[in-house]
Amino acid sequence: MEAGSALDAAPLRGFKDFYQYASTTRVIAGRDLLDSAGFEFKKEGARRVFLVTDEVIRGTGLVERVEAGVTDGGLEVAGVFDQVPQDSSTAVVERCAAAAKEAGADSFLAVGGGSVMDTAKVADAVFTHGGGAAEQEGFFLMPRDDDGMGKPFDIAPLACIPTTAGTGSEVSMAAVIKDPERKVKLEIADFPLFPRLAILDPESTRTLPAKIAAATGMDAMTHAIEGYVSTDWSPHQDARSLHALRMIRGNLERAVERGEQDEEARGNMLIAANLAITIALGSVHAMSHPAGAQFGVPHGVANAIHLPHVIEHNAGGGSDIADRYRDIADVFDVSEPEVGPALAAYLTELIARLGLPTRLSEVGVPEEGIPALVEGAMGDGTTLLNPREMGEDEYAELYRRAM
Amino acid sequence: MAYFKDADEVYATIGKLFEDLAEDDELAPKFQKANTIVQYQYREPQSQITVKLIEGEDGQVDFGDTPMEPEVVMSMDADTAHRFWLGKVNVTVALARGQMKAKGPVAKILKLVPLVKPVFPRYRQLLEDSGRRDLLEAS
Ligand SMILES: [Fe+2]
Repeated sequence: MEAGSALDAAPLRGFKDFYQYASTTRVIAGRDLLDSAGFEFKKEGARRVFLVTDEVIRGTGLVERVEAGVTDGGLEVAGVFDQVPQDSSTAVVERCAAAAKEAGADSFLAVGGGSVMDTAKVADAVFTHGGGAAEQEGFFLMPRDDDGMGKPFDIAPLACIPTTAGTGSEVSMAAVIKDPERKVKLEIADFPLFPRLAILDPESTRTLPAKIAAATGMDAMTHAIEGYVSTDWSPHQDARSLHALRMIRGNLERAVERGEQDEEARGNMLIAANLAITIALGSVHAMSHPAGAQFGVPHGVANAIHLPHVIEHNAGGGSDIADRYRDIADVFDVSEPEVGPALAAYLTELIARLGLPTRLSEVGVPEEGIPALVEGAMGDGTTLLNPREMGEDEYAELYRRAM
Repeated sequence: MAYFKDADEVYATIGKLFEDLAEDDELAPKFQKANTIVQYQYREPQSQITVKLIEGEDGQVDFGDTPMEPEVVMSMDADTAHRFWLGKVNVTVALARGQMKAKGPVAKILKLVPLVKPVFPRYRQLLEDSGRRDLLEAS
């Protein structure tokens, strides 16, 4: 095939020159699974388990139930680290790794949302391989056999019990951690970061506040949409993305509105978030990462704000891209001929119904912040995977529209 | 079969490209916005090019040993580098497959990727001008 430059827009249909797909986390989903956390984690080689969580979750009593489940399966709880903040940092990761070493742990169990799970992942890498948290940064750079070109070395067994239905970190090979000194989000992705086990039990999202259920649900929505239109798309991920969208359509609003009373909707959202996750994302994430690193905008909220603007922009970039968005619009019965504006309008309404902010100015981002945000978005790995080529001017314009 | 038989051949082609870019009035200032020092470590043949990209400072390109301290280190086969400058390597795929490895603040490098497109035809031209048409047909 006579291809143009590899930097030209990649085709969004047909048979690809190359793609790679892996999903190596064992998932168990259903009811009453917290009690068998130990029974299941034992199968992954865990003996002395180090729990990673945050104070809010610990306050709900969930961690105690999981601890009981761990010991019930014949494992020991080596220690509990509950100091993960909403937006975890390199320093927290290093403290967590040191505490696990100190406790003589041999495995990690994360009970929490994206920040807790990502902290556990990177702490596990530091715990296993040494070095600082910032040194773990990079794509596919973890230690390997054969001069770095062979099989990646395993890290200590990691299990995740997500307490939000959104990030999908419990089944992904990526982690995002804030580096406060450089004011950037460090992105780390490699195969050993796939957790060995993910436990999806709606009991773990029973007390989730509606606002957080909405924001994290929109993160899952964004993964499904961005994964589907990314230049790094694959038929494997397409199947997951589209089914994730169907499940989100049927369950997100229910889970947010009815919360505690709707176990089914909560359980299905946990599964939808799982299906939606991919590391092949796009400009929504490129814009949201700096908004989080520089202005503390929660990840799901930032995605909800940016998503409609990016869709409208991308869909104007050619019929191939618009066709991909049309598949997504079909899931939501949005059938206007101009798919970009129609899908964007549908999502903006949904986001407002969920009670989420729809503008950056509502969440403390000033107009003067735009140049630094643009800089951050340009340096984010997901920019290269957006279906429409992005430059500084395009990002500045999208941030302005999102104000 | 490697495209280059020794480090000097790498320096005469890819190295020369970096030197030309450092002197380019239009492109050099754009690349220098990265504000970093990048070292390219090539295998087969073993060779190394270190490039200073600092705003407001003159460009510097060193072959082999260098007193410059790199902030970002990119390692790959020289063949991959050659195919990259011909416009035939998708960076995200190459990173995912481990054909390219980028150590350091990756954001600084990723920002440069969209800038390289206008460089591809120059590399082709450079190969033609330096009598290396044989290298144009890399697949
Ligand atoms: Fe996300």
